[in-house]
Amino acid sequence: MDNERALISRASMEVATALVTGGVGAAVIWGAAEHDIGWGDSGPGSGYFPFRIGILIILASLTNLVLALRRRGFGNEVFVTNAQMRSVLAFGLPILGFVVLSLFLGLYVAAILYLAFVMIFQGGYRPLFAIGLAFAVAVAMRLIFPIWFKVPLLTGPIEALLGLY
Amino acid sequence: MANLDSLFHGFVVALTMQHVMLMMVGVLLGILVGVLPGLGAPNGVTLLLPLTYTMDPVGAIILLTSMYWGALFGGSTTSILFNIPGEPSSVATTFDGHPMAKQGRAIQALSFAFLSAGFGAMVGVIVTTLLSGWVTSFALQFSSPEFFAVYFLAFASFVGLSAAQPSKTIVSILLGFAFATVGMDTISGSLRLTFGFDELLRGISFLIVVIGLFGIGELLLTMEEGLKFEGVRAKVSLAGVLETLVRMPRYWVALIRGSLIGVWMGITPGGPTAASFMSYGLAKRFSRRREHFGTGEPEGIIAPEAADHGAGTAAMLPMLALGIPGSATAAVMMGGLMIWGLNPGPMLFIERPDFVWGLIASMYIGNVVAVILVLATVPLFASILRIPFAIIGPLIVVVCFIGAWTVGASKPDLWLALIFGIVGYVFKKLDYPIAPLVLALVLGDKAEDAFRQSMLMSQGSLNIFFSNPLVGTITTLAIILVTWPFWAGLMRRVHLLRIRQPKVIE
Repeated sequence: MDNERALISRASMEVATALVTGGVGAAVIWGAAEHDIGWGDSGPGSGYFPFRIGILIILASLTNLVLALRRRGFGNEVFVTNAQMRSVLAFGLPILGFVVLSLFLGLYVAAILYLAFVMIFQGGYRPLFAIGLAFAVAVAMRLIFPIWFKVPLLTGPIEALLGLY
Repeated sequence: MANLDSLFHGFVVALTMQHVMLMMVGVLLGILVGVLPGLGAPNGVTLLLPLTYTMDPVGAIILLTSMYWGALFGGSTTSILFNIPGEPSSVATTFDGHPMAKQGRAIQALSFAFLSAGFGAMVGVIVTTLLSGWVTSFALQFSSPEFFAVYFLAFASFVGLSAAQPSKTIVSILLGFAFATVGMDTISGSLRLTFGFDELLRGISFLIVVIGLFGIGELLLTMEEGLKFEGVRAKVSLAGVLETLVRMPRYWVALIRGSLIGVWMGITPGGPTAASFMSYGLAKRFSRRREHFGTGEPEGIIAPEAADHGAGTAAMLPMLALGIPGSATAAVMMGGLMIWGLNPGPMLFIERPDFVWGLIASMYIGNVVAVILVLATVPLFASILRIPFAIIGPLIVVVCFIGAWTVGASKPDLWLALIFGIVGYVFKKLDYPIAPLVLALVLGDKAEDAFRQSMLMSQGSLNIFFSNPLVGTITTLAIILVTWPFWAGLMRRVHLLRIRQPKVIE
C-alpha cells in the first residue's frame, strides 16, 4: 500500500513550477537590465524585448500560482507516487551517470558502460549478452556517425590511449 | 494554373532515383521513431537534422518530411496493435483501433487507419498546392508590422484554441521567447542573458530543447507508467487491405470532415493532436452509430487518422509561405531550413522554386510511398516492440544524447538536454503545452526583429499594428483569440443565467 502513497501532491508541484517559471522570469529581467531596456540610438535597445518578456513571464506565473493555490482545497490529486518516483529515478539516475561519464570518457565508453550496467542490473540479462550488445552498439555508432556521415562523436582518453583517433 | 505548372517542375525534381531512395529511407526511419515510445516525429526529425547539414537542401527536406509522414503512420500502428500511442497525435486512434484489432480484425483496423491517413494527407497536399501561390502573393505585401501581427496571431491561436489552461500556454510561449534571446543579439551584436557563461554565447539550440522535452521527458513519463507491450498479432494480406479499400467510400463523410478539420488545424497552428481529437469528437457526435464508438467502429479510426495526417501535411503550407510552422515538427524543419541557409517565407517561392515545388511534389509521392511501406512492414515493426523495454529504453537514451552532441559538438548541450528532459517530464504531467515553447524558440529571433523594425518605423508607437486594414484585421483577430478563454467563460455564464431564468418565472 505504501507504494501507492502520494510522494508529491499535484497542488504542491503546481505551486513549485509556478515559482520556478516566475524565477526564470526574474532572471530574464535581471539579464535584460544589463542592457539598454529602453529606446536606444537605433530604436528599441537590446534589452527592450527580453525585459518585457520577463515581466510577462512573472505575470503569467503569478496567475498560475494563484490558480494553483485556489484549487488547493479541491480534491488531492497526486503528482507522483512512491512507486512511480522509484521507477523514474531507477531510469533517470543512470542517465545522469551516463552524461557525467560522457563528459570525461567520451560518448563511446560511456554508452558501453551505461548500456551494460542497465541491462545487467536492471534488465537482469546475462553479463556476456549485455556487454556484447553494448559493444555492438558502440561499433554501430562508430560506423554510422564518423564514418558514414562524417560527424565525429565525443571521444575521451581511452580512445586516445588505444590510438583509435 | 501557374501552380500546376510549378508542380509539374516539382515532380521532375522529386522523381529522381536519389530522391525516391531518400523518401523510402525517410519513411522507414520515420515509422521506426513513430513506433518507438519516447521517440516521436519532432524528436526524430531533430536527431536526423545534424546529419543533413552537408546534404543539398532539396534532398535533405525530402528526407526529413518523409520521416515525418513515416512517424505519423508508425504512431498509428502501435495505437492499434498495442493500445500504446507512438505519437501524441495518434491517441484518438486507440479508442476504436485497438478494440477492433482485439476482435481479430487487426488488418482491417490498420488498413482503415493507413488509407484514411493517406487520404487526409492527400487533401492536405492538394490544399497546399492550390493555396500556396495565393498565400505567397498575399504575404509578399507584408512588411515588419504585418509579420509581427501574423506571429502574434499564431501564438494567440495557441492560447485561444488549446485545451490547456491559458496562463500555462502563455508561460510556455514566453519561456520559448526568453530562451531564444539568449546569446548574440542579431541587431546590436551584444551578448544577452548569458550570465557570464561562455557556453551560452551561441544561444540555446531549439534542437537540444526538442531532444530534452520530447525525447528524454517522454521516456521518463513512459518509465513512470511502467508500460507493458501486450500486442495483437497482425497478418497483413492484400485481400484484407483491398476489402477495406472497397468499404472506405461508405464512410466518406467522416473521411472528408476529418481531412478538412486536419487541414484547418494544420494551417492555423492547432497541430495534429488537437485535430485528431476534435475530429473524433465530431464524428462521434454526429454518427448514427454513436453508441458503437469505442468498441471498434471504423468511423472512429477514420476520423482521427484523416485529421492527423491532414494537419501534418497542411502544417507545411504556413511554414513555407509565411515562415510560421503549424506544428512542433514543422517548427524543427523550419529551423533546419534556416540552418541550410534558406529563408522560409514568401521570398522562398521566388528565390528557390525548385526547393519549394520539389518538396510539395515529394509530399504527393512520399505519402503514397508511406502507405505502401507501412502496410508492408507492419510485422517487422511490431516485432521491434516485442524487444523488452529494458533494452530499447536505454538505447533510445543513448541515441538522444548522441543527437544532442551532433547538434553543435558542445559538452554543455548534454546537460541542457538532460535539464530540458526533466522540464519536459514536469510540464507534461502538469499539462503545460510544450509545442508552443518550441515554436516560440524557433520564431523568437524573427519575431523580435519584426517587432523592433515595426517600432523603428513608428517611433515606438503600438498604433503601427493598426495602421492599415490588413495589419489591423490580423491584430484584432489575434487579440480576440488570445482573450477567447475569457469570452468563452463569460458566454457560458450568460447562458447559464438564461437557462435559470425561466425556472424562476415558472
